[in-house]
Amino acid sequence: MIRVSALEYIEKITNGEFTAREFMEATFLHIKNVEPQLHAFLHIEGESGMIAQAKEIDRRIRSGQSVGRCMGLPITIKDNICIKGSTTTCGSRMLEGFVAPYDATVITRLRKSDAAIIAKTNMDEFAMGLTTEFSAFGPSHNPWNTGYVPGGSSGGSAVAVAAFEGVASLGTDTGGSVRNPASFCSVVGYKPTYGLVSRHGLVSYANSIEQIGPIARTVRDTAFVLGIIAGHDDHDDTTIDTPANTDYLDGIDEGGGVEGMRVGIIKEMCSEGADPRVIEATKDAASEMERAGAICEYVSLDMVQYSVPAYYTITAAEAESNLARYDNIRYGYDYSLEGYEFNSYVAEARSRFGPEVARRIIVGGYVSSAGHSGRYYTKAQKVQSKLTREVREALEYHDLLLSPTVPRLPFKIGEKIDDPVALFMLDLNTVTANLTGKPSISIPFRISDDGLPIGMQLMADVSNDKMLLRSARSLEKRVSLPEVPI
Amino acid sequence: MVTEEEIEEISRLMKIKITDHHEYVDKVHYMLDFFEMLDSAGAEDEEVPLRRIPISRLREDRHVAFDGRLIDNLKHFRDGYVRAPKMN
Repeated sequence: MIRVSALEYIEKITNGEFTAREFMEATFLHIKNVEPQLHAFLHIEGESGMIAQAKEIDRRIRSGQSVGRCMGLPITIKDNICIKGSTTTCGSRMLEGFVAPYDATVITRLRKSDAAIIAKTNMDEFAMGLTTEFSAFGPSHNPWNTGYVPGGSSGGSAVAVAAFEGVASLGTDTGGSVRNPASFCSVVGYKPTYGLVSRHGLVSYANSIEQIGPIARTVRDTAFVLGIIAGHDDHDDTTIDTPANTDYLDGIDEGGGVEGMRVGIIKEMCSEGADPRVIEATKDAASEMERAGAICEYVSLDMVQYSVPAYYTITAAEAESNLARYDNIRYGYDYSLEGYEFNSYVAEARSRFGPEVARRIIVGGYVSSAGHSGRYYTKAQKVQSKLTREVREALEYHDLLLSPTVPRLPFKIGEKIDDPVALFMLDLNTVTANLTGKPSISIPFRISDDGLPIGMQLMADVSNDKMLLRSARSLEKRVSLPEVPI
Repeated sequence: MVTEEEIEEISRLMKIKITDHHEYVDKVHYMLDFFEMLDSAGAEDEEVPLRRIPISRLREDRHVAFDGRLIDNLKHFRDGYVRAPKMN
């Protein structure tokens, strides 16, 4: 019963094939069975409360009362998005036990649509990482092979969706943190145009480039969830003038898909450093798009090779500023004030940050300091500017840009954790969309001979989210993949 | 090259207690070495991008009362005030 897409769930609830209560009970039973192996969640809502909520949905359906379009759909949320009355730890012991006092705008919108928020998902601490190994509460496991990383930082969200522990999820994408785990777990991950989705209630890491985005089993589900959460919000002045409740599903299967579109395959994202199986898959994806009527050709974006150091410089500087608020006085865990002077108390309390977060705060302080900002931070901003121009010029000619989502396949837990630069290079193909504000999507494309997923990434111009989803749907329809072995 | 003194000064400014400054010299140096790549990007003449939001787009600058007692979330408070250690 639980192996359905969000839109199938809604159809089956509407047709009376199962009730919201039956689905919720089946979901919780499944979570009990698989969660010990997967560790997708940091917090699971009480089963009895969620079943009562599902029963209420059923009652309203039976009595002909209005029901929101999600109809009790079980959804999971990354643990850096605030839900009133629920813990929000950001995968950090620094916020262990913190209960959010308000709902993020995306949560308000999901609740209005009668989504059932069943769990908070595991993540790298403060979203800094690509594997969930930097979660203070231990890593999540890839459902395709539990000895392997699921990607990150929204790894718990991707695991939950791939392993049927909830039908869809919200993650956050600062440098690929939705698309990377979506690719590693063979689900769809979407990074919207910057400003399309409100960040109000998202714990900030690098706010100039991060976005909340859906993770789902299909492109159609992704469009459905995006339609609920997107749109201008008075609480976030960086949101763009897109009306709430835009229907991203409308026309998704019409208009000839990618027929007649020009698709640029980004050379620098399929370079020698990429796994040959990933390069082969990318060529096959381009062939599929050509069979669907697109015109594919290679395009070169010189600045891509500098995008990762630029991204890490900018995000480290923003992180040290955003994380300065964690002084354990306005937020935090129970740590006695007695015997401390103010600064020594804050410094002692902040030693609860994990090693990766501490390193990035120190690096952020270094690159943005008066003596060094010209050498690092300003240069990174200039590279960001040049990259933005290159991508804009490429998208004046091409409708879409294609690349593998991640240059490598998922790897074993523990294999790369001690090599930060090797980990950073996994971001090579995803950070461009963040640094330039473009919408980008990862869709499942292949399962390798050893049973590991490979995802393909499409990117479009700012505010072309609808066209991007339609194009991704066109590619998705041409791909048939095996079921996850869970 | 990053020095232990620089790490000590930055960790003081960032308010993070670090016991082994030498360990961070290596960690930070490793990342900064990677960032040196930016020198070869040929982007010296680029304008630094600024995101401009007109003031008219910003929400009205007025107090909006919060519905609830935020102070109850704190571990240390007394008589409606946040408690913090003394400042020297």
